Amino acid sequence: MSIDVQHITKRFGDFVALDDVSVTIPSGGLTALLGPSGGGKSTLLRVIAGLESADAGSVHIEGTDATRLAPQKRNVGFVFQHYAVFKHLTVARNVAFGLEVRKVPRAQVRQKVHELLELVHLSQFADRMPSQLSGGQRQRMALARALAVEPSVLLLDEPFGALDAKVRKELRDWLRRLHDEVHVTTVFVTHDQEEALEVADEIVVVNGGRVEQVGTPDELYDAPANDFVMGFLGEVTSLGGRVLRPHDVELETGPGRDAAREAIVTRVLRIGFETRVLAETVQGEQVTVVMTRTHARTLELVEGMTVWLSAAPGAVSVAAPTGAAGGSDERDPAVPLAV
Amino acid sequence: MVESTTPVRWLLRLLAIGYVFMLVAWPVGLLVQHTFADGLTTLTATLTDPGVVGALRLTALVTFWAVLINLVFGVTISMLLVRYEFPGKRLLSALIDVPLSVSPVVVGLALLLAYNGRDGWFGPTLEAHGIRLVFDLPAMVMATCFVALPLVIREVVPVLTEIGDDQEQAARSLGASAPQTFWRITLPSIRWAVVYGVVLSLARAVGEFGAVKIVSGNFTGRTQTATLVVEQQYQNFQQDAAYATSFLLILVSVACLVVVALLRPGRH
Ligand SMILES: Nc1ncnc2c1ncn2[C@@H]1O[C@H](COP(=O)(O)OP(=O)(O)OP(=O)(O)O)[C@@H](O)[C@H]1O
Ligand SMILES: [Mg+2]
Repeated sequence: MSIDVQHITKRFGDFVALDDVSVTIPSGGLTALLGPSGGGKSTLLRVIAGLESADAGSVHIEGTDATRLAPQKRNVGFVFQHYAVFKHLTVARNVAFGLEVRKVPRAQVRQKVHELLELVHLSQFADRMPSQLSGGQRQRMALARALAVEPSVLLLDEPFGALDAKVRKELRDWLRRLHDEVHVTTVFVTHDQEEALEVADEIVVVNGGRVEQVGTPDELYDAPANDFVMGFLGEVTSLGGRVLRPHDVELETGPGRDAAREAIVTRVLRIGFETRVLAETVQGEQVTVVMTRTHARTLELVEGMTVWLSAAPGAVSVAAPTGAAGGSDERDPAVPLAV
Repeated sequence: MVESTTPVRWLLRLLAIGYVFMLVAWPVGLLVQHTFADGLTTLTATLTDPGVVGALRLTALVTFWAVLINLVFGVTISMLLVRYEFPGKRLLSALIDVPLSVSPVVVGLALLLAYNGRDGWFGPTLEAHGIRLVFDLPAMVMATCFVALPLVIREVVPVLTEIGDDQEQAARSLGASAPQTFWRITLPSIRWAVVYGVVLSLARAVGEFGAVKIVSGNFTGRTQTATLVVEQQYQNFQQDAAYATSFLLILVSVACLVVVALLRPGRH
């Protein structure tokens, strides 16, 4: 195991940012730390890098106990959310920094910087100042800078957070390809579930200072540990005390199945290729159903119509939160709904 | 910006220019004029007077040490104030501004009381070993450091705050030690603020009068700096020499102003 975090607790004053967090991250993989804003993702990453010291717990990197090690001794590459470029140094000198402080011979530094700039497609910008680069180029430079010291793990804090959607998408694919090329154990923070599902080999869901679930994108999507994970990875609705995906709700115009619940259609919205139907069950539950446009047309749905709703066979669902306040205390493993 | 009619604007402009002219430009201009009233004779006479030359040399010496010490401590204290949390931080921050609000004469008296050779904590001990603080160079440097204390700090602190510690953290994570991070990343980022603070300290140190007068004892030919010589010349009815010496001090100030003006664009 490349990074082994055990029972880490971190407080800022009275506020508990990380609450007894344990997680192991395998070698050579691309792992995403996913969670809502303020959940403790950056704090966890910074604890791993040694930029923040934990109040309790231990961090092992590649088998060595790094808990008390200074950041410069951990051999960790860190890429900051806002790049943290060295403004007074050229692109090449930025990339060379880690090698220069290690007193690597000049010729070797030049060679390595050249290779890295090639890798991140910034060769022609070597002599520019960072202020003359675009956001995406700056981020790639920061990545090259972190890779220069051949870190045993690469930590990226929302690497594409400050970029527009298109560049984000490009860089995301590029990161995946880069990772397949370089194979350094990589952990990146994101609050964009699409980014995590698309790029990562493994996802760690962090919320409220705790790890909610660890798993591959498929595992998380198909077997969410609780309603929080389920809700964070995609749209959800509730039906009969269970939380499930809106496209997993079946809508029929007559009473068919036993478990079906009677409801009144309150709204029909056509958005692009799909149609979303809002309905209220006789028990007073608001349910969202998503179906294809064609399917909606054959059903001839209109507002005020009575319909019957049930979970599709094999649909993934978890128990709905009981209380009003988030309800994340209720841990109920996902089970396919009996039909 | 408030829109104002042309006459109002002209009136404001006139007022501002008039104010600065009456207060600064005219008096200083007169001083320069008097220096050159009979050509270069007064100036050359003053410059060849061993008393004046000695005083200028002493001013340079005191200024050099005071600025150097102030630079080192100023940058260190700034780093401490911006990058670290510790009890008493706000008190320290407030204390740093004391020299701005306390009269230099009071500063001089306080230092005299604390470091004289008869009582105080180390004065007597040091005196016994033949080291004199008060009425000698050390106290003069101390007094000058005191009055110039906030100048570097108040320049550097906002810049340090603005740049944040992202770059420093990046440097640390890339393997740089604390000193390497300081020399390679922090200092280059704040260099203009540091230079600016040094120039201000320099101008302040050269011009210091009250505090230095008290702690130096004002001994002619030994502990008299240029400003003290100007006062003495003036009191001895050597007005011309006083004007000429003042002119030399003005030259230093102008040089400082020019340096600052040249630096300003670099400060964004
Ligand atoms: N230096 C600090 N002092 C006090 N509180 C802090 C500090 N750093 C983080 N926190 C708090 O710890 C919590 C977790 O912060 P963290 O930066 O880890 O969140 P995050 O998951 O990275 O969020 P985001 O997606 O918004 O970056 C937040 O509530 C934050 O306010
Ligand atoms: Mg964050």
